[in-house]
Amino acid sequence: MAYQLYRNTTLGNSLQESLDELIQRSSLRGCVTFTFSQSQQITPQLALQVLLQFDKAINSALAQRVRNRVNFRGSLNTYRFCDNVWTFVLNDVEFREVTELIKVDKVKIVACDGKNTGSNTTE
Amino acid sequence: MVEPKLYRSVIEDVINDVRDIFLDDGVDEQVLMELKTLWENKLMQSRAVDGFHSEEQQLLLQVQQQHQPQQQQHHHHHHHQQAQPQQTVPQQAQTQQVLIPASQQAAAPQVIVPDSKLIQHMNASNMSAAATAATLALPAGVTPVQQILTNSGQLLQVVRAANGAQYIFQPQQSVVLQQQVIPQMQPGGVQAPVIQQVLAPLPGGISPQTGVIIQPQQILFTGNKTQVIPTTVAAPTPAQAQITATGQQQPQAQPAQQQAPLVLQVDGTGDTSSEEDEDEEEDYDDDEEEDKEKDGAEDGQVEEEPLNSEDDVSDEEGQELFDTENVVVCQYDKIHRSKNKWKFHLKDGIMNLNGRDYIFSKAIGDAEW
Repeated sequence: MAYQLYRNTTLGNSLQESLDELIQRSSLRGCVTFTFSQSQQITPQLALQVLLQFDKAINSALAQRVRNRVNFRGSLNTYRFCDNVWTFVLNDVEFREVTELIKVDKVKIVACDGKNTGSNTTE
Repeated sequence: MVEPKLYRSVIEDVINDVRDIFLDDGVDEQVLMELKTLWENKLMQSRAVDGFHSEEQQLLLQVQQQHQPQQQQHHHHHHHQQAQPQQTVPQQAQTQQVLIPASQQAAAPQVIVPDSKLIQHMNASNMSAAATAATLALPAGVTPVQQILTNSGQLLQVVRAANGAQYIFQPQQSVVLQQQVIPQMQPGGVQAPVIQQVLAPLPGGISPQTGVIIQPQQILFTGNKTQVIPTTVAAPTPAQAQITATGQQQPQAQPAQQQAPLVLQVDGTGDTSSEEDEDEEEDYDDDEEEDKEKDGAEDGQVEEEPLNSEDDVSDEEGQELFDTENVVVCQYDKIHRSKNKWKFHLKDGIMNLNGRDYIFSKAIGDAEW
């Protein structure tokens, strides 16, 4: 299974919200039947499947379709290493790409183990 | 920088991959399309990357209405890989097709909302993305008053969206607290007050904590005289509480408020609802309260309000603005440390910085702890 890491991104969150909306709609329309297709919508189980599929897709897209490099520098506020996941909080950071420079006061970095991407056993 | 193409291709891949799952579960294809539309719209709303095809979408919207049968063919052809190189046109057509029955708007403003209940409200408003973000950050204290008819006839609507956020819409951005007398009302005793609330506009500059300014008016009728007593509340207090509280104060406040508008706060620190009354006892109690606040509650907790307001010293909360927590989600190749010098070797990351999305395949960083 691919990392579920990327669910908390713009792309992932918007997907989760959309799925939640569809799930809620089905529960509302349980009593009223307009068209059969609308009364059903999706189940939470189906939503979970979609998210799992999203995980695979985003992981592979990042690995294959992205080819750029970023540098950054800042001061480290906190660090945590738990369950093989690093979590950092940096302050006054500058992110540098070839094209542009981005400055932020505070950034949180969450990093999973990248060796052997998908180091968890695949199903 | 993120290219919309990358996100678009991810969406396409996911949608195509789950299509089988949807069909296996017996869920209609239309639901799948709806998911896609919702997903894309949220993406367009939230991020500041060049909108997928927002402009093109509006241009094509009129065209799509005429070419609906053709789009269905495109829709079917979408299964094939050939559709992908054609890129924007069939994809937009596909989304257009679903958007049309949902929105039914000829000229949508910057925001296209798929949810039907939100559409009516966001029709002509000037709500920008920043404003929606500001309204999303409204404190939970604002009750979802559904519709408020103001003095000038503006129809304000407060809608509770599916995710629990509350949107307050106002057809016009200009807000005027109008002290008008309604001549239609008939005299003869004090009538039920007409509480009119004018919601202030919501530009992006309003801080999340004071997103709403509610200004109720009280119009009293006694005999032939009509007195307009405007009261302003500058805190996001529940609207209904205001109505009931001000309703109670109406006869009492009348003589006292003839002079100038008073700031009325019926809850929170101003919990004594009859504060404006000329009761001296109450004033005395208020003074006592204030003194106790300043002294820091020497006697312990006689009054529960003034305490604990300065106990919180964590500095994290000061820095934490919930607007955009800049987040980087990635994988690490190597994390290295020497004394207090840290080196980061990261890869395959998605960053959200200052509201915008960035992606990298490799990132190298230095930091001192």
